[in-house]
Amino acid sequence: MFEREPNIDIVFRNGLKNLEVLPPADVWDSIPPMPMKQSRLRIISGIAAGVAAMVSLTLLVSWFVRNNSTPVLLSEVTVPGSDLRDVSIDIAKAAPVTRPAEAKTVNFTATTTPSEPAGLSDMEAMEDIPPELTASADLPEQDGPTGEPLKLFSDEITIINAGRFDGADENLKTTLPDLKGAKTEKRFLLGASLSPAMGFSRSGEDVRLAELINSEKSRPAYTTGVSVAYRISDRLSIQSGIGLSSIGQTISDVAVYAGLSDYYSVKSSYLYSVETASGLILAGNTDLYLTGTRDRVGTLIPVNMADPSKYKLTQVGSDIQQIFRYLELPVMLRYKLIDRKVGLNVSGGVAYGFLVDNSAYTGEGSDLIRVGHTEGVSNVNLSSQLGFGMEYNISRKIIFSLEPMFRYYVTPISDISGSLYKPYSVGFTSGFFFKF
Amino acid sequence: MAKDKDIIDGCLSGSRRDQELLYRRYSPKLYAVCLQYAGNTEEARDVLQEGFIKIFENLSHFSHEGSFEGWMRRIIVNTALERYRNRYYLNRVDDIDEVTEPEAEPDTDDFAGLEAFDLLNMIMELPPKYRVVFNLYAIEGYSHKEVGEMLGISEGTSKSNLSRAREILQKKVMILTGVTKRMVNV
Repeated sequence: MFEREPNIDIVFRNGLKNLEVLPPADVWDSIPPMPMKQSRLRIISGIAAGVAAMVSLTLLVSWFVRNNSTPVLLSEVTVPGSDLRDVSIDIAKAAPVTRPAEAKTVNFTATTTPSEPAGLSDMEAMEDIPPELTASADLPEQDGPTGEPLKLFSDEITIINAGRFDGADENLKTTLPDLKGAKTEKRFLLGASLSPAMGFSRSGEDVRLAELINSEKSRPAYTTGVSVAYRISDRLSIQSGIGLSSIGQTISDVAVYAGLSDYYSVKSSYLYSVETASGLILAGNTDLYLTGTRDRVGTLIPVNMADPSKYKLTQVGSDIQQIFRYLELPVMLRYKLIDRKVGLNVSGGVAYGFLVDNSAYTGEGSDLIRVGHTEGVSNVNLSSQLGFGMEYNISRKIIFSLEPMFRYYVTPISDISGSLYKPYSVGFTSGFFFKF
Repeated sequence: MAKDKDIIDGCLSGSRRDQELLYRRYSPKLYAVCLQYAGNTEEARDVLQEGFIKIFENLSHFSHEGSFEGWMRRIIVNTALERYRNRYYLNRVDDIDEVTEPEAEPDTDDFAGLEAFDLLNMIMELPPKYRVVFNLYAIEGYSHKEVGEMLGISEGTSKSNLSRAREILQKKVMILTGVTKRMVNV
């Protein structure tokens, strides 16, 4: 049998169907912004950062392959004579090396008799060269006029680790300084750097943001990491790498007490929120009671429960420290203004940062207590960097760099739409670079 | 006026303005739902806040296939129930199998003079266990079995609570409208 629905149910259902009641005005202010879905621009930025990293890696690999698979070639063998004439040996007409073996770099010492023009009559390795490094070839008599330099070309001779030059009238000891040749350029630099900085904030014309920033103090920032640079030309180089940067700020007008969970327990991911210039801190630590000025602190606890005088709480902090750490992939161009032992250069570029740590703490030193995290912080950001610095060539392979660096965040720290919070920092980048 | 889908897309792309637009558009209706379940404005305020946080957190899961308002309403109702369970789980009543229906009830025409706010106030004045069952059964349309599962009570308890809620509401209506005659169901 069909059971008829009581009239009173119908009346209430229909009567309430279109009922609207305006909620209290402050409810909206207590709702945190929802995190932003990754936009296309951010995805492209991420891809670009990945490409930059791949280019760096490719350059590194290509260098490694080149230096481990190509035989060492003599670009030029120069035999300095006492009469200050360079004696070069052209062995284009030389008989082929009869005992091919593994190529190695060998240093020879050569001497010439001052009264005699330099000629290739005999040439042998120095006594301290192991026998297996001695090269041997049948060289023809010198064709050119006496005293005319003989030349060796890199594609015409290969030093091998066994064999012997012979067939000369006299022994000729010669030194072949740096057979790889002084002209072999060290195009790569590998280095580690540390860049402490002080951060600053810019509020633009946003009145609320300016009000928030006024009571927020930037924490010391730093960037550290490893870099690989490639010299495009004598003065211009491109640099990339990977690093970790940390920025943050201290919110000073918030007091934090511990022990709330003894009195109030609710199934919620957070109980308090703190409005900051870089987003909304959600206090996931539900044992903490937060109170503050400037209408920063919001709470899910009903008003009649949010009275600290009812509870026996211990103050554990008088501020909150927001810390953001980013994994960074920089791409920088560097131009040497002065290329000497102590050089000057200018540099500029961008760095893509990927958020790896987003935490808010209270307390000091080893007594730091995690409060929660900041909602609405961008997972990816882009910063621009400009530097003007000094390089000191400690040796032919090691460079010390000291460079004042200005950094400005191109994209806002916060995901909150319309936020203008873009910090900037000024610091010193210092580090050591190794040429190879 | 912007379409819901455009506002939802805006919210998903992080636009705080679209989030506020969504809130302004639907919060009055949803706040009324909160009041039905909460019984007082403080509790309703908290339910609305928590509910909207969940709406924004789960917005990407909305499939655009059903009613968006209905989807949000379900989230609000579930939030209210969650708070109800947390708060009143210790005050569960024992199962009552015997259900007493009111002897008579007024005709719908007799409620013509009642404003929606009067109805809302009547529901808010109900004891929590009657109010929540009445809302779920009579307003939302759930069965006693479903109500029992949602609240962790038996079907019998759900029926008895509903019966008691109707009885109380009926008396209130009669007092408010001055209806004294006894109407008999047809």
